[in-house]
Amino acid sequence: MNAPASSPDPPAAPDTGRVRGWPWAEVPFPLALVALGLFTVIEATQITVPGSTNGIGPRAFPYAIGALLVVTGVAVLVGLARGQRGEAETGEDVDVEVGTDWLRVAMLVGCLLALVVLIEPLGWPIAATVLFGGAAWTLGARPLWRPLLVGALIAVVTQIVFTQALGAYLPAGPFEGVAFFG
Amino acid sequence: MGDIGLLLDGFATAMQPEYLLYALIGVILGTAVGVLPGIGPAMTVALLLPLTYSLEPTASLIMFAGIYYGGMYGGSTTSILLNTPGEAASVITTVDGNAMARAGRGAAALATAAIGSFVAGTIATVALTLVAPTVAKLAVQLGPQDYVALMVVAFLTVAALLGSSPARGLASLAIGLFLGLVGTDTLTGQQRFTFGVPALADGIDVVVVAVGVFAVGEALYVASRMRRGPIPLTPVGRAGMTREDWSRSWRPWLRGTAIGFPIGTIPAGGAEVATFLSYSAERRLSKRKEQFGKGAIEGVAGPEAANNAAAAGVLVPLLTLGLPTSATAAIIIAAFQSYGIRPGPLLFQNESALVWALIASLYVGNVMLLVLNLPLARVWVKLLQIPRPYLYAGILTFAVLGSYSVNALAVDLLLLLALGVLGWLMRRYGYPIAPAIVGLILGPLAEEQLRRALAINQGDPVALVSSPFAIVAYSSIVVLLGVGVYLKRREARASAELAAAQDRHLVGEQR
Repeated sequence: MNAPASSPDPPAAPDTGRVRGWPWAEVPFPLALVALGLFTVIEATQITVPGSTNGIGPRAFPYAIGALLVVTGVAVLVGLARGQRGEAETGEDVDVEVGTDWLRVAMLVGCLLALVVLIEPLGWPIAATVLFGGAAWTLGARPLWRPLLVGALIAVVTQIVFTQALGAYLPAGPFEGVAFFG
Repeated sequence: MGDIGLLLDGFATAMQPEYLLYALIGVILGTAVGVLPGIGPAMTVALLLPLTYSLEPTASLIMFAGIYYGGMYGGSTTSILLNTPGEAASVITTVDGNAMARAGRGAAALATAAIGSFVAGTIATVALTLVAPTVAKLAVQLGPQDYVALMVVAFLTVAALLGSSPARGLASLAIGLFLGLVGTDTLTGQQRFTFGVPALADGIDVVVVAVGVFAVGEALYVASRMRRGPIPLTPVGRAGMTREDWSRSWRPWLRGTAIGFPIGTIPAGGAEVATFLSYSAERRLSKRKEQFGKGAIEGVAGPEAANNAAAAGVLVPLLTLGLPTSATAAIIIAAFQSYGIRPGPLLFQNESALVWALIASLYVGNVMLLVLNLPLARVWVKLLQIPRPYLYAGILTFAVLGSYSVNALAVDLLLLLALGVLGWLMRRYGYPIAPAIVGLILGPLAEEQLRRALAINQGDPVALVSSPFAIVAYSSIVVLLGVGVYLKRREARASAELAAAQDRHLVGEQR
C-alpha cells in the first residue's frame, strides 16, 4: 500500500465549533432574507382581492411566506450571534479550505452575460462557443483555441440536434437559412 | 390479485422496443451523470424536462425513472475511486470503498456496490409494487385538509432535517415557497409578484429554477473554490469479488434493503440517514470490527443497498400522495404536471396503464443497470478523468440550452443567472438546496389545498386540524422530528468515530 492518497491536507480547525463575534461574511444573506420577507408582506397588500372570494383569498399565503422569511432570517442571525456558523457544502471538485476566488466567479458571470447579449443577434452557435470557450478558459483550460474549438463543436451539434431532431427553436444568427441549422 | 394483472400489462408496455430504448437511454444517462462530478439526478431530470414537450408521457417518465435509478448506481463509483463523495448519501461508502480501492480491491468494491444496488433495487421495487396500490386506496379518502397536513409534515421534515441547521433549512424552504408564489393565482386569476413582467405571468419555470440553483450554482461554487492539482483517482484494480466477498456481502445487502426502504417512504431526511444506519448496523454486527474504516466490504455493501432501497421508497409517497421528499422527486412531480397529470391517489385509477408501465420499467431498468455496470465499470471510470474546466463549461452550456429551449426567452437566461448566484451563495453559506426545490413545487399545491379546505368548511380554521387523519399527521411531526434529530445525532457520532478511526489508521500507515 502506498502513502495515503487521501486527505492531501491536514484537516483545518473544525469550523463547526462556536466562534465568538460576528462572522461578517455570513450576515448579508440572512439580512437579505429578512428584507425579502418584509417586501413580500408589503407587496402582498397590493394584490387585488376579487369580491367573490370565499375563505381566504390570494393574499394570505404570501403573508405567511413573508413572515416565514423574516423569522428564518432572524433565526439565522441569532444563531450567528451565538457563534453557530454555516457549513459550506462539500463536493468532488470543491476544496472548502481555500478562500473564495471572487474574480473567477465574476468572470464566469461575465461569460453567461455575454451569452445573454449575444444569443439573439449572433445566434446559438456563436454565443454558445463564446460561453463554453470563455468558461473553460476561466476555469483553467489552455491554450484558448482548444476550449473554443470544443465549444464550437458542442454548439453546432446541439443546434442541429435541438432544431432537427427535437423540434425546438434556437436562433441560428448568421447561419439562418443554412441547411440543418434552423 | 388485480394488481398482478395490471403489473403484467405494465410489463407488456415496458417491454415494447421503443420503451426499452427509452429505459436504456435513461439508465445510461443516469449512470453517466451519477459518475460525473457536479451533476446529480435532480439536475439531469430538470435539464431533460424540456424534452417532455416532444415526448409522450410514458416514454419520458420511463426515461426519468431510468435516470433516477441510474444516478444512484453511478454515485458509488465516485466515492470508491475518488475518495470524495458527490452527495450526502454516498459519504459513508467513501470510507471503506476508497480504502478497498487503495488496497487494490476497487473492482470488488464496485461489484458489491452494483450487485447490492441491484438486489436492493429489485426487492424494494417489489415492496413498492405491493405497498403503493394499498396506500393509494387508503389515500383516496383523504380530503383537502388531510393533504394540507401531509404537506406541512413534508415541508417541516425536509427543511428541518437537511443541511447544517434547521433555521437554514427552513430559510431555504421559504425561498422556494416565495419563488412558487410568482405568477398568476390559480383560484382568482390575480397576478402576484410578477412586477408587470409578462414573462413572469405564468410563473417562474421549474426548469429555470432547478437548473439555475443546481447547475449554474454548482459551477459558480466550484469555480470559487476549485480543487487544485491532479484528479486523485484510485485505480480500479483487477481482483473481482472472491467467494469470501460474496459470503460477507449478501447479508448486508438484505439488511441494507430492510433499513433503506422504510426510511425512504417516510419524510425523515432521505437516503443519507439510511446509509449511515446501515453502516453502523453492519459495524455492530460484524466480527471484524477493526476492519471498518480500512476496507471492510460490508461497509460498502450495506450502505449502497440502503441507498438504492431508499430511492425506491421515496417513490411510494411520490406516486400515491403526490408528496416529494427529495429534490429529484419534486422535479419528477413537475414532469407529471407538464402533462397535466397529478401524482396522487387517483393516479392509480386514472392513469393506471402509465403507473404500471412505470413500475414495470423500474424492474427492467434494474436489470439493465446490472448488465451495463458490471462489464462497463472501466468505461465509466474514464468519465472521472474529464478535465474539470471542460466539464463545468459543458454543464453551464447545457444549463443555458435547457433553460432557453423552454420558452426561447432571453429574460429566462437572466433569471437563470440570478438563480445561479443564489444557488452559489446558498452552497457557500450552508443552506441546503433541496428544501427550496420541494417548496417551489409543493408550495402552490399546498396553497390550493389549503384554500379548498377552508372554502369547503366555510372558512373555519378548526376544520384543518380536526379530521382524524390530520390529527395523526400533525402529531407525527413531533415523532418524525424527534426520530430525525436522533438519527442525525447518531450519524454525526458515527462519522466522528469514523474520522477518528481513519486518522489512527493513516497515522499507523505513516509510521
